[in-house]
Amino acid sequence: MKILVCVKQVPDSSDTLAIDQQTGRIVFKPSTVFRMNRYDEFALEEALLLKEKFPGTSIRALSFGPERAGTTVCRALEMGADHGVHLVFTSEIYVSPFITAWFIASYARNRDYDLIITGVMAEDDMACQTGQLIAALLDLPYATSVISTEFQPEGGTVIADREIEGGCRLSVRLEMPAVLTIQSGINTPRYPSLSNVMRARTQQQEIIKIEASDLPEQRETCSSLNLPDSASLGTFITGSPREKAGKLLHILHEKAFLC
Amino acid sequence: MEKKIFIISETDQGNSSQETFELISFARELSCGQLPTIILLGSGIEAQAKDLSEKTGCDTVAVMGNHLGLFNTQAYAHAIMDILPPKTPLWVCLPHTSMGYDLAPLLAVSLNAACITAVDGIHSGALSRSIYSGRFIVDIIPQTPTVVVTVLSGAFESFAPEIPLPGSIRMVQASLPALTSKTLGIQEPMHRDSTLKDAEVIVSAGRGVGKKENMDLIKELAALFPKSAVGASRQVCDSGWLEYRHQVGTTGQTVAPKLYIACGISGAIQHVSGMKKAQTIIAINIDPNAAIFHVAHICIVEDLVSFIPILIEEMNNCSS
Repeated sequence: MKILVCVKQVPDSSDTLAIDQQTGRIVFKPSTVFRMNRYDEFALEEALLLKEKFPGTSIRALSFGPERAGTTVCRALEMGADHGVHLVFTSEIYVSPFITAWFIASYARNRDYDLIITGVMAEDDMACQTGQLIAALLDLPYATSVISTEFQPEGGTVIADREIEGGCRLSVRLEMPAVLTIQSGINTPRYPSLSNVMRARTQQQEIIKIEASDLPEQRETCSSLNLPDSASLGTFITGSPREKAGKLLHILHEKAFLC
Repeated sequence: MEKKIFIISETDQGNSSQETFELISFARELSCGQLPTIILLGSGIEAQAKDLSEKTGCDTVAVMGNHLGLFNTQAYAHAIMDILPPKTPLWVCLPHTSMGYDLAPLLAVSLNAACITAVDGIHSGALSRSIYSGRFIVDIIPQTPTVVVTVLSGAFESFAPEIPLPGSIRMVQASLPALTSKTLGIQEPMHRDSTLKDAEVIVSAGRGVGKKENMDLIKELAALFPKSAVGASRQVCDSGWLEYRHQVGTTGQTVAPKLYIACGISGAIQHVSGMKKAQTIIAINIDPNAAIFHVAHICIVEDLVSFIPILIEEMNNCSS
C-alpha cells in the first residue's frame, strides 16, 4: 500500500504572534517555536500503524510551506515515514486551503497513492477543508473527522467511522484510493525512536520549489486581519492573586453559587 | 441582479436544525433581506419541507431518496448539484457541522467556487472567521462568481418571522448515482455522562492545566460547589488526563450550567460552542489575550496552577 500523509507546520502557541500594522499580516516573534499540526501527528500515526499491520506499505510525508517547514517533514521522518517531500512555497499572498490543496493534488496525481491522509484541520486556520479539496480535485472518495479505521486491502476498501456531533459516529465504506482526514484521539502519536532520528538526520528530502507563476487563480483573498472586538471582553478582576481570589469569592457568594 | 442564495438544511431528529434558521438570517444579511431557497435532503421529508416553507416563507426544495436518509458526501453533493441552476452565480450556504464542512469543499470544486468555512460574521462585504483559536479575526473576500460558505452555529440569530406567506414547495426524487462511498450506519456514543448535563456548576480544564497531576486541582475546586461536575477540552481528553465522557464541545457534550469555570482553556470555537450558553462564565487563563476572555463574564489573568490553590484556601477559610 502506498500512503501519502500531509503534514502542516504551525506555531506552537499563538502567544508569540502579533499583527504587523503596516502589512496587516501576522508576524511571528523571534521566540516563536514551530511544530507539526497536532491533528497531522494523529494522521501520520494512523499511517504508521497501517504499515505495521500491512508489511510492504510505504509512507511519504509531504509538507507545503516555507523553508522552515522542512523541519516538520524531518519530524515526520523521525516518527517513521519512509520518505519526505517539501513543496517549498514562500509567499506574500493569502494562502487559502484551495491553493494548498491544489499543489498537493498536483503532486499526488499520477503517483498512485492508495490512501492520502491528513489531519481533520490545522490548528492555526481551522478551516477543515484541505483534505476534502485534495480528494475533490483528484475525484476520490473521502471521509472527514475519522476516529477509527478498518482496512480490507483485498477488497480495496476502508471502513471509516466519522466522529459527528455529540460524540455519535457515522460509518462509511470507501473504495480505495481514498482520502481520510483524521480526528484527534484516534491513536497515540509516537515519539521518534533513536534509530529513526539518526536516519532522518541524513535522509534527503524531495524538494520541489514552487514559484509564484505556478499559482492557480486565487479564489479568495484576505482583506483584513483584526483582533476580536474588545467590547465583547468580560470584566477583568484585578489585584494580587489573593485579592483576586477574595473578589471572586465575593461574586460567587453574591450569585449564590456557594452555600 | 442579486445572486441567488441556496441554503442546505440539516435535520435534527426529524426536525429542521436550529442552524437552518440561523442560515436564513445569514442569507438575509448577505443580500439586504432576500429570502434564500432551502434545499432539504432525506427520505420521508415531505411534512418537514411543508413545515419549513410555512415557518420561514422560503421556497423549499425537498430532495428525496432512500440513499439520502443518512448523510453521504457523494450522494448529497450529487443531489444538490442536480438542483442548483447551472452557470448562474450563486451563494451556497451550509452549517459548519460535520455535514457542512464535509460537503462544502466538494461542492466548491464542482462549482469552481470559493470555499469559505466557519464564518461567523459579515463585515463590509467580507466574510469574517476566527483563526488561531479565536485570537485573530480574518476577513475573506471571495473572488469567484459562485461562493460556498459554512456558517458557525450560534453566530447568527434564528430567523423567526411572525406569519410569513408560505414559500413554494418542490418535491424531487433523487436518482441513485454510482458512488465510491457508502454510508453504513450511525452509532450512538458509547459513554455519555449525564452528570455533566445535570450539573449546575462545571469546572473545566484545558491545555493550560499543563500535566495530568494538575487535574487534581480542578477536581478539588469542583468538589467545593454543590451539584458540580468536572469538564474538559478535547485536548485534555486526547492527552489522557480525563476520560472522553467529560469532554465539552462540538464533538463532546453541549452544556448550559448556571456556572462554568474555564481553567486554562484557550477559547477555540470547538470548545466554546459547547459551553457558551452557561449563565455565568468565569475564565482563568495565564494569557491575557486568550479568546476565552471574549466569552467569559468574569476574567482572571493568572496561572491556574498557582491561583486555584489560593482560591481553594480562601473558600475553605470562608466556610470554616
